Amino acid sequence: MKRLITGLLVVTSSLLAQDPEFFGYLESQLMGAQIDGKWIQLQSNKFRLDLKANVADQLTVAANYNWTTYHGKTQWQIPDYLPETVRAQIPTELESYLVLPFEDTQVLDNAFIKWMLPRCDLTLGKQQLSFGAGYAWNPTDLLNNKDLLDPTYEQPGHNAVRLDLPLGQRINATVVYAPEDTWENSTKMVNIKLGLARFDVSVMSIERIWNTHDYTRLNDNLLSPDFLLLSEKRQMVGGSAVGELLGWGVWAEAGFNTLETRDDLTEWLIGTDHTFDNQTYVMVEYYENSQGKSDSKAYTLNDWMRYLAAEQRALSRNQCYALVQHPLGDLMQLGLSAIYSLSDGSVAFLPTFNWTPLENLEILAYLNLYQGEKTAVFNSNMGNGGLVRVRAYF
Amino acid sequence: MKMKVRGFKLLSLLFPLVAGYGQELTGSDIIEKVDALMNQEASYARSEMTILTSSGEERTFIYDSWSKNYGEKNLIRYIAPARVKDQATLMLNQADDIWMFFPRTNRVRKLASHAKKQKMEGSDFSYEDMGSGDTFIKDFIANRLDDKKTDGADCYQVELKRKPDADISYSKLKLLVRKDNFVPILIQYYDDSDENKLIKELTQSNIEAIQGIPTALHMDMKNTIDNTHTTMELEKIQYNPDLDDAMFTERGLKK
Repeated sequence: MKRLITGLLVVTSSLLAQDPEFFGYLESQLMGAQIDGKWIQLQSNKFRLDLKANVADQLTVAANYNWTTYHGKTQWQIPDYLPETVRAQIPTELESYLVLPFEDTQVLDNAFIKWMLPRCDLTLGKQQLSFGAGYAWNPTDLLNNKDLLDPTYEQPGHNAVRLDLPLGQRINATVVYAPEDTWENSTKMVNIKLGLARFDVSVMSIERIWNTHDYTRLNDNLLSPDFLLLSEKRQMVGGSAVGELLGWGVWAEAGFNTLETRDDLTEWLIGTDHTFDNQTYVMVEYYENSQGKSDSKAYTLNDWMRYLAAEQRALSRNQCYALVQHPLGDLMQLGLSAIYSLSDGSVAFLPTFNWTPLENLEILAYLNLYQGEKTAVFNSNMGNGGLVRVRAYF
Repeated sequence: MKMKVRGFKLLSLLFPLVAGYGQELTGSDIIEKVDALMNQEASYARSEMTILTSSGEERTFIYDSWSKNYGEKNLIRYIAPARVKDQATLMLNQADDIWMFFPRTNRVRKLASHAKKQKMEGSDFSYEDMGSGDTFIKDFIANRLDDKKTDGADCYQVELKRKPDADISYSKLKLLVRKDNFVPILIQYYDDSDENKLIKELTQSNIEAIQGIPTALHMDMKNTIDNTHTTMELEKIQYNPDLDDAMFTERGLKK
């Protein structure tokens, strides 16, 4: 313990000697939803503290710590949000396990050392690792799953060793190794990104253990029973391209996955965007997932639970994300997003409002309104509601 | 043979000066001089940009910017406020290629060229205004108008009309260029589809010679439609520093 404290003091004092920068934000958020005619709400407060120090000419240390507290409805009964047909599949003895808890957390989210060598950058530690060109989905990103209602929200840090190697003016290679208990279970990734005329093109290969659960069975652990964990090796080759055609931004991304036990999985998307002269921005993205189902009546309990637990990216096979944004003066922006499931005909509408009333204060508000059959992915059981987020930076 | 080459070089250097004294400058001559002045081989600047909104509120941004190849390559990195700290924008090929870096997600996103029309952090400057390098020459045809005297300074007046195939958001520009130093002290921007509709007006003042180069240290961009304006103060400026090409790459953007 003494050694740990001494070590921490040495690290802290050496960092303070390097004139570290401290910054971050405080975020307060209120979300609510109408479930079975009853309005329920959850409030959260998140304090993020960042530290960044250039400890030597080419050496940067950066970390952030997040404290989050939850208040209000902190235990969400998942069956309340599931279609009747899926609820009927829940074994009675498992109902009490189908709870989504929001628990206070304190987490060292990112903590890494970046060493900028003459010919490459080496990053060691918990860091942001996100790949792909898509806005709402990223078929080539096996490390993160975006929230469709809030796709640009920051992702958690991943423990890894990352090497970025420039091979030319517009050619870069990235190698990532995220260690687990054995080499076989660790994530290995290689990505080559190159500039071809007005396009950025990436090709990548990744191997990772994919953890999902069987939500119809419990494991054999009598002390800590939980849903049965299913782990299998997932190997993906894929790529993305971002560029411009006829004045419109265009992008495409695809991942072809080989799985140990299940059928191979293919995910792909295409998207386009444009800013008109009046500053109106429009964006449309189409996404297909071969594991998704074309008929909403075929969605199983496992499909729903894996989707809600962000273990799989989609319930339905084909989806489309559309976004229109327009600035209201200099400090406000109005937007409307629509996520349409072509497979089951359901749609989620998200009118959004962004405002920066003060220099370091951001306010985001959106409504989520679902329109679809009771078995569909965006059915009204999901709870029409909204969110208000106030974030103050320092 | 060597002497001949040297002699030819000397003549070609002197010729513009001789031509300048011997005959009236055309609109193109003036714009070439403005372009040469505004787009040095390389530069570094620290700027403070203050946006004054239509409701009278102020927003201040501080950023560092680097430019190379006579304005063809540009890199901008924000220092303040905390909300945008370390966000960076790389513009290559006169802002036809734009990449943005978001430090909280460590993500670089390539934007299509339409994004250059977007306001930079809500200011009255677009990315196009900031990183378009030789746009006056490349995208417009210059026509000299009657000279004008403004604030006691003799000025050339030049009208720039957009070339038919140019991908630029303004149908026309009008410049007032000081005769003594070729600094444009007023640039008026006209609507994309209506060349009689004035939409923005940039005034440049507080001109000082930095490393012998006349430099406007204060800029004020006024949006005549929204009634907002953005001022920019150059806090530091250095011309022709030794900038590595590696700065203007994705790796440099993320540093």
